[in-house]
Amino acid sequence: MRKKVVSAMLCMAMAATMLAGCGGNAGTASAGTDSSKKTAGGKEEVVIWDYFETDAQKNMMQDIIDGFNESQEEYEASHVYVPFADYEKQLTLGMASGELPDLVILDGCSMASFIQMDLFGDVSDADIKWDEYLEGPMESTMADGKHYGIPFATNCTALFYNKDIFDAAGMEYPNENTTWEDFHEMAKALTKDGVVGFGNAATGTDEGTFQCLQWLYTAGGDYQNVKGGTDAYNLMQEMVADGSWSKDCVNWTQSDVNNNFVAGNLAMQQNGPWQIPGIEKDAPDLNYGVTVLPKKDADSDQATSILGGENMGAVKQDDMGGATAFMEYYDKTEVMVDAMKQYGSFPPKTEAAQDSYWTDDPIQKEFITQLQTSIPRGPSASWPEYSDALQTGFQEVMTSAKTPEKAAEDTQAAVDKVKASEK
Amino acid sequence: MKKGKTLGPKVGFLFALPAAIYMLIFVGYPMIQNFILSFKNVDVYSFADASKQAFVGFENYKELFSGGEAILTTAIKNTLIFTVASIFFQFFIGFGLALLFSKKFKGSSFFRGVTMISWLLPVTVAGLLFKFMFASKGGIINQLFMSLHLINAPLEWLLDPKLAMIAIVVANIWIGIPFNMMLLITGLTTIPEEIYESSRLDGANKFQTLFQITIPMIKPAIMSVLTLGFVYTFKVFDLVWVMTKGGPVNATELVSTYAYKLSFDQFQFSKGAAAANILFLILFVVGIFYIKLINDEDEVM
Repeated sequence: MRKKVVSAMLCMAMAATMLAGCGGNAGTASAGTDSSKKTAGGKEEVVIWDYFETDAQKNMMQDIIDGFNESQEEYEASHVYVPFADYEKQLTLGMASGELPDLVILDGCSMASFIQMDLFGDVSDADIKWDEYLEGPMESTMADGKHYGIPFATNCTALFYNKDIFDAAGMEYPNENTTWEDFHEMAKALTKDGVVGFGNAATGTDEGTFQCLQWLYTAGGDYQNVKGGTDAYNLMQEMVADGSWSKDCVNWTQSDVNNNFVAGNLAMQQNGPWQIPGIEKDAPDLNYGVTVLPKKDADSDQATSILGGENMGAVKQDDMGGATAFMEYYDKTEVMVDAMKQYGSFPPKTEAAQDSYWTDDPIQKEFITQLQTSIPRGPSASWPEYSDALQTGFQEVMTSAKTPEKAAEDTQAAVDKVKASEK
Repeated sequence: MKKGKTLGPKVGFLFALPAAIYMLIFVGYPMIQNFILSFKNVDVYSFADASKQAFVGFENYKELFSGGEAILTTAIKNTLIFTVASIFFQFFIGFGLALLFSKKFKGSSFFRGVTMISWLLPVTVAGLLFKFMFASKGGIINQLFMSLHLINAPLEWLLDPKLAMIAIVVANIWIGIPFNMMLLITGLTTIPEEIYESSRLDGANKFQTLFQITIPMIKPAIMSVLTLGFVYTFKVFDLVWVMTKGGPVNATELVSTYAYKLSFDQFQFSKGAAAANILFLILFVVGIFYIKLINDEDEVM
């Protein structure tokens, strides 16, 4: 008898969790492919997924949505938060179950994969001023000459330096003419008394690739040509070996790097503009400057940086009117500029980024300069695999597990393998 | 058993029908789909276009195991180390606690209840707690070891390949102890008090009682604990995902986390399915062993 009671209870518990599971799904289910959904006011619903977590980001999103809802009568937009860690899984599952929003805001470098998986629909006919957008971010929203969305925000990394540490050492600040050799010497000279010359994020995820890859490009390689950038490996291994580039980097995320910079443990860091609001809030007295990343040598052009930021993609469905309308609203320069001021990134339009808010700010304007020589990751539907292969290479070099030549050879082989699997 | 015989086998099948239907829909169907998927070539390029999806036989399995540094081989090795180390400690600590709490003393049922907390806590929460505790800067474990002068500098628990494995094993042991303890306590309560009395009259000492009476009497419970423990430890995902995501450089990669990464990070759905099937196959063998064990015992009884 007792056994039966227990088994009955187990069954009930199981049923309950299943129901709860279904209930949860129903709750997050959105307009999806069912475009006939209307709100109470008789307007058509436009559901947007995003992974924005901070209050500033949430307010930004709400402001855009409120503005859009007031600007017209036909549609009513709303947004659903999906945690970043689960984002791509939820999109993949959504494609299988058909429970998808109308618009998706996602990391620029993963858009190509989802275009390939047929998540997004062609919006080339929308009334959007395509030619005003920065080329790099725009490319990441396209495939085979068709547009599947628009860039939402754009940014890149540049070189932060702690003015106090430089002043104390009686050294000149780095600037746009700083070469790798100068940079290495600076970092070496500043590495003393618990301070390390330089640090960046080289953790074993795409976050690490995002920061490390620019060194490879600046050295003359690219994501498919690792051997061409072996000099980057040489520099990394030398600097980590002599202590002027923190070895801890292989475990650091971008926030870890910034925390160490703010705490005065690093004289220079590679990081992005989204760190600025945090620095202003937590360390208002920090005396720092920003400049473009060091260039290879005196004759070479400004260093390459890697583009970060989000794209907005329109989910493929019969009626994409709502999604298109929302993108057309965001396409307005003033809407974009207002949103990006709140967000701590840059508008992906050449002209919009020339707003005095950025160009008059001595720090922000350096990022605008750096953006001009920034390139997107990929774009490739196999980017996650490329990223994995590349970052393994950087980690092997920084931990001195392999010599630069051997690492270049092995990483090239790994990258070639991914390239061969691309279709 | 006697009743079943008089009712005839047809009625028996009727009773089993609801369970069979449930199993077919919620267990059988996804499993078969997963097997089919693992023999196809579904990845980011063929996901949307069914015409590009083709059967490739054992190609995915071959690729997963190919090369001297195949991640799946590492993952299986890691999973085995993780499972064996976890179960070993869970079982002995759980058994010790079971012996303790099967004695009636003041507050014994209260403390037995308190021990259950680690089992009741959602695994992700426990994972987060351990992640904080093992943090190299400001983590309580480093602080404790430093103040006891066991170490001079903070250890990078979750960043060093060997230490990361120790950290996830420790977290998993903590979570699994109550499960072992409860099953063993249930086993202990089935031993009639008379047997202990008579053994005492025969002059058996504590050790003899433990090894000659207690352990043989609860052997079925011990076997269940070990096999069930093996199964649920072998497929652990959430704890490791929260604490290390399989890092650093695959040092704590388990078959489950690897299958997840293949499917949802790299969109190699067929390879992910193949890795999941490897996990399933290993557990299937353990399952058969367990069922056989139970059947043998039924026959003895």
